[in-house]
Amino acid sequence: MAVEGEVSERLPWATGTAELDWEAAYAELLPRVYNFFRYRLGNDAVAEDLTSRTFEKAWTQRARYRRDLAALSTWLFSIARNVAVDHLRAQRPHLPLEAAEHVAAAGTPQEHVAHASDLERLAALLKRLPAREQELVALKYGAEATNRAIAALTGLSESNVGTILHRVVLELRSAW
Amino acid sequence: MDDQFLHDLRRAPSPEFAARLRANLRAQGALSPARGRSLAAQWLAAAAAIAAVSFAFTFPEVRAGAAAFLDLFRVVNFAGVRFDPQRLAGLKASGVGLPSLLGDIEPLTEPTPPVSYASPAEAGQAAGIELKLPAWAPPGWTLAETVVTAEHSARLTANTAKLQTVLDALALDDVRLPDGLDGQAATVHLPAVVVMTYRDGPRALRLIEARSAEVSFPAGFDVPALAQAGLRILGLDRDEAYRMAYAIDWRNTLVVPVPVDAASFRQVNVAGTEGLLIERATGSRQLLWSTNGQMYALAAPLGAAEMLEMAQSLQ
Repeated sequence: MAVEGEVSERLPWATGTAELDWEAAYAELLPRVYNFFRYRLGNDAVAEDLTSRTFEKAWTQRARYRRDLAALSTWLFSIARNVAVDHLRAQRPHLPLEAAEHVAAAGTPQEHVAHASDLERLAALLKRLPAREQELVALKYGAEATNRAIAALTGLSESNVGTILHRVVLELRSAW
Repeated sequence: MDDQFLHDLRRAPSPEFAARLRANLRAQGALSPARGRSLAAQWLAAAAAIAAVSFAFTFPEVRAGAAAFLDLFRVVNFAGVRFDPQRLAGLKASGVGLPSLLGDIEPLTEPTPPVSYASPAEAGQAAGIELKLPAWAPPGWTLAETVVTAEHSARLTANTAKLQTVLDALALDDVRLPDGLDGQAATVHLPAVVVMTYRDGPRALRLIEARSAEVSFPAGFDVPALAQAGLRILGLDRDEAYRMAYAIDWRNTLVVPVPVDAASFRQVNVAGTEGLLIERATGSRQLLWSTNGQMYALAAPLGAAEMLEMAQSLQ
């Protein structure tokens, strides 16, 4: 009773349409994009703002999406990555000098993170890592992307993604 | 801190934020009016259900192999899981016998050919189910044939040595089989299934109805641990397999392996219950859903909207 096999063998199947199902995409990807930003930036309010920007950009740029080149999630996360980069770039020049004093006065990183929530602690530890590693953690654990999907997004090899993440988790564990 | 801890830091977006963003996107024409579907509910309460291994939307060799393995846990609901068919094809090519990877499969009933009936009513009576018929079908489609496949049962006795061979062949050295698995037996009962074929010229679609499949396995059996091994065999990475194995209600959920390179799947609403819609790259679709202990499948070369309309018109 091989239902699919029997039917597909006998029939000239119609070609599927390639229109995007935005409703499904929104439902499925909203939590993933939101958590990508939470892990990337460690702040819920900023994550909400950047998630909104990502979806709004995706909608306005929808004509550029080509289903034959990438999965919708890959395309959306490429937008999210750019949104994150833009946000971080915009933050740097505007940091007041007082911020440096605050960092200097905050004691050791361990002392600082001891009083923060787990996510804030994670964000504080991640900030010590290179941007690439921070992004990989956000994609893996926040966006719940597979190593293969991360490789497709970042241009790294799948095995390299796995190796880097393994090392990062070990570093985070030892610093936690 | 470990992988699980890192995953557990995830949070769902607040309902207020999700509603606000939805409203913004809707104002731009991106989304239809809010429906408030929960992702977790979509995934875990996957609505559609059809009984047998053969309903799994996979390549034939996978149906015969990995799908049979996961059938142990399939009872009522549906959830999709992506897998890489190349991985299992390679396993088969290397001589690992997928159909018997769990151990010994002993048929408890003799296989019989499908029987054709003059009307759906007669077929439903023969199958012992209250058959529902679509009040609407796309123009041009008419019922051409109704057949019933008899119920059958099989006993599956676990053989960890065979399973370990598969795990070794795939280099899955992180997978640990549940203690006491070897020699445990599960009984799979697949009820009679009614298959109605509709035709429009050379094209055909099938509407399939059956009572829920029943699988009995020893009480206290560590189903998630075995499911985790099965998901690793299908190609999920360690973290994904762990998360899914412990998130799914295996006693009520039928997992459908969907080849990553040939199909996609999503949850849809079918007359108030959640169904699983699988869409192949070729354009063919399968819709699977369940209600009141009865399972339904629609396999057709139709658009998603037509599939749903036909499914929702069953009465």
